[in-house]
Amino acid sequence: MTISDSNISKIMISPTDIPAIDIRDLRVDYERFTAVHDLTLKVPAGEVFGLVGPNGAGKTSTFKVLASLMQPTYGEVILSGVDVLENKEAARRIIGYMPDLAPVPRDLKCGEFLRFYARAHGLGNASQCAARADECLEEVALTDHKDHWCHKLSRGQTQRLVLAKTMLHSPKVLILDEPASGLDPLARRELRTTLRKLASRGATIFISSHILTELAEMCTSICVMSHGRLLASGTVDQVRAQLGDDSRSLSIVPLQNLDAIPGWIHQCDGVTAARLEQGVMHLHFVGDNECQAQLLETMIQRGLRVRSFSEKRSSYEEILIGVAERSRLS
Amino acid sequence: MNHPVICRVWELWKNPIFLRYCRSRLRPTAISVSCLITVMVAGFIFQMARTTSEWRTDMSESDVERTPLIALLVIQGLILFVLGTAQASGGMTAERDEGVIDYQRLLPMTPAAKVLGYLFGLPVREYVMFACTLPFTIWGMWKGDVPMHTWLSLYGVIASTTILYHLTGLLTGTIVKNRRWAFLSSIGLIFALYTVIPQAAKFGLVFFKYLTITPVVEESMRFLLPSSAGSAWETGRRLLSDARFFNLNFSEAAFTYFSQACLIITFFVMLCRRWKDAEAHLLGKFWAVGFYSWVQLQLLGNALPLIDSGKLFPTQQFARFSYMMRGKSWQPASWEALSMILAYGLISLLFLWVLSGIITPHFNTQINGWRRAHKQQKTRLPLRSDESNSSVFVLIMALVGGASWFLFTHMIIESRWFPGHFAPVSLALYFILAMVTCALAHQLLLEFKGARAVFLSMIFILVLPLMVAAIMGGASDRLAPIAIWIAGLSPLSLPALCVSNHLSISEFPVNLNRAIPGAYLFWQVVYLLLVLSLVKNLWKHRQSVKSQA
Repeated sequence: MTISDSNISKIMISPTDIPAIDIRDLRVDYERFTAVHDLTLKVPAGEVFGLVGPNGAGKTSTFKVLASLMQPTYGEVILSGVDVLENKEAARRIIGYMPDLAPVPRDLKCGEFLRFYARAHGLGNASQCAARADECLEEVALTDHKDHWCHKLSRGQTQRLVLAKTMLHSPKVLILDEPASGLDPLARRELRTTLRKLASRGATIFISSHILTELAEMCTSICVMSHGRLLASGTVDQVRAQLGDDSRSLSIVPLQNLDAIPGWIHQCDGVTAARLEQGVMHLHFVGDNECQAQLLETMIQRGLRVRSFSEKRSSYEEILIGVAERSRLS
Repeated sequence: MNHPVICRVWELWKNPIFLRYCRSRLRPTAISVSCLITVMVAGFIFQMARTTSEWRTDMSESDVERTPLIALLVIQGLILFVLGTAQASGGMTAERDEGVIDYQRLLPMTPAAKVLGYLFGLPVREYVMFACTLPFTIWGMWKGDVPMHTWLSLYGVIASTTILYHLTGLLTGTIVKNRRWAFLSSIGLIFALYTVIPQAAKFGLVFFKYLTITPVVEESMRFLLPSSAGSAWETGRRLLSDARFFNLNFSEAAFTYFSQACLIITFFVMLCRRWKDAEAHLLGKFWAVGFYSWVQLQLLGNALPLIDSGKLFPTQQFARFSYMMRGKSWQPASWEALSMILAYGLISLLFLWVLSGIITPHFNTQINGWRRAHKQQKTRLPLRSDESNSSVFVLIMALVGGASWFLFTHMIIESRWFPGHFAPVSLALYFILAMVTCALAHQLLLEFKGARAVFLSMIFILVLPLMVAAIMGGASDRLAPIAIWIAGLSPLSLPALCVSNHLSISEFPVNLNRAIPGAYLFWQVVYLLLVLSLVKNLWKHRQSVKSQA
């Protein structure tokens, strides 16, 4: 049996195979400065994907290219099967973009602002657009502010309003540049809830933030960029491992009083340093979770009765600072 | 993937950007205040003019009704041309300043639909204010027996001029990044394009007059003024030039539409290009060449038919009156012809520089183009792309400009007004050479050293020598030859020296006549060598850009 060309294309682009975000060899230059170096990245549909990196990492440039707002030096960007650079108008129907420090117009009220974009995205007649605008306002808990001037909202409310605008046309891909910047903890929690809700409906969310702990809570996977280069990508733990930050500090409180650290502990896999302080053993450990479980098992086999066991990993901020520093030096 | 079309380009009533501005700029409080003030002012003018002429003069009924028309037209012009244009420019800059313009870029609408949305949306309040004045003018025209064709052509031209001015405002609002500068630039550009440059019509470049409503207002004035004043106006107007394009005769209105249409389309294309890609050149290379050639054609088409009748020469109008008064015949002076020829050459050159600035790629644009080309395994940049160099296109425009300039000169010098003087076709080479060297020097310097170097050379090479020469020339006749040599450093002097050297009608004092040929030859050779050196260096530079990428 022979397969015709059209069949091949059907096989190749069946919806399940199409990544929501497919970036190939993306490069962005500003004068003599290269903001993004040959970035290649694929994000499956339905993911909440975080982009982490210090200032100047190339996050906003990447986002602007994804949102069809900037022409890259070269590269390809395909969102849900639509080539952003070749077919901007079609791509814009499936993209929702929220810029950093999202601005709002001074001459419109919140309801009008959303109705305008609903109309611009062709969401039906005036009443259908109004209904959709109300729905989105409700999603971000701004129904009471429908008749308020956009520019009179607080920072957090403005962010939520722009998020409502971003999700008006139910985009397949949401590109959110630092959506949590300027938000208080309560507003951040609300934002997190809203994003989870959106993801549960099948939207792919590409989000950047400096607040890594927040990304870790929110994202199914992340990638780390520094100086325009992709350093690692995957789940949070995978990224940690890729970045060589598998070390942790283990605190073990034995049941019996110890005078010194038993010698065999230094021989255990992964233990790089150990000290005893007020009856608590502090171990510096480098290894994966399997290796850590093995250590605990060895302790018990050797007759060390453990009353409590805790681990402390370096914070995300510490990792990022380390990555940025290493990247800068290299 | 087929998507429903949100709004077609012409469906303005469905255009979301237009509707958004209808919402924000037509809020009941704001619009009612604006309308009230407009109605008060227009009503006052209307009633004041009618009452005064009715009770204080013995005008006929229809003449009385015509008296407020001119003042009402001024009010309408202020609303549409001044307030509307300021709103188009300021509103566009405000969009960018607030940062919301990116939201509009992301709308799934065609660039043309977006441009139209802004064009008619931003000044929508001014349109309503204008509409408030219409009942008064309609009454005046109806009761004043103004023929329908007059007010149709008048308002048709007001509409096309409004679109042209608003597009100009929109364009400056889009290009200029600083809000304050955008406003000043738009006012400056509109003042220059539609007030200063049309004055060139008095020097034979009649085309520029048609970028304003002046010709149609002049044509319609007979019917807008009370009958006695209208007749006097018409008698005076017959002395003015006709709307002629080569051997074709047009009405003033038709020719104004024709002239404005091309500029409107070009501005529209510029805006669409910017909406498509915020970093794109305002014009493509082929469009720039076409636009330049079209302007040259218009300039020649308007000017050449007026040479034989003498209507091209500004002194003829004065002479007609003096002839009537003193019975002397009129003959154009050679200085008049020389200044018109020079004005043509300089305006062609300045316009060429503007277009060259638009289509010449920045160093970084080129290097990015080469990176893209390398990635796609191409050995050349696409000719039409913004990244490719513009030298060939500038050369073509310079050839067109030089040839048109020579044709204009040839027709004037060999006309019946200057018997015994000739401008043989062989002279065309010198005219073209002057135009090509000046144009290429600008383009090559811009590409090689960037806009800052061009700006500095404008100050120190283009303007400063002319200033020094003017001071020296003004100080003493003995210094005039040295002043000629110094002025020759400025590329703007090269066309002047070329004209003065080659045309037999030029009459200068003996010491200047001695200096001009030497200065012309010297600076022409210097500029030619400069261009050749720039070509050589730029060639190396381009190779290094290619390899750097």
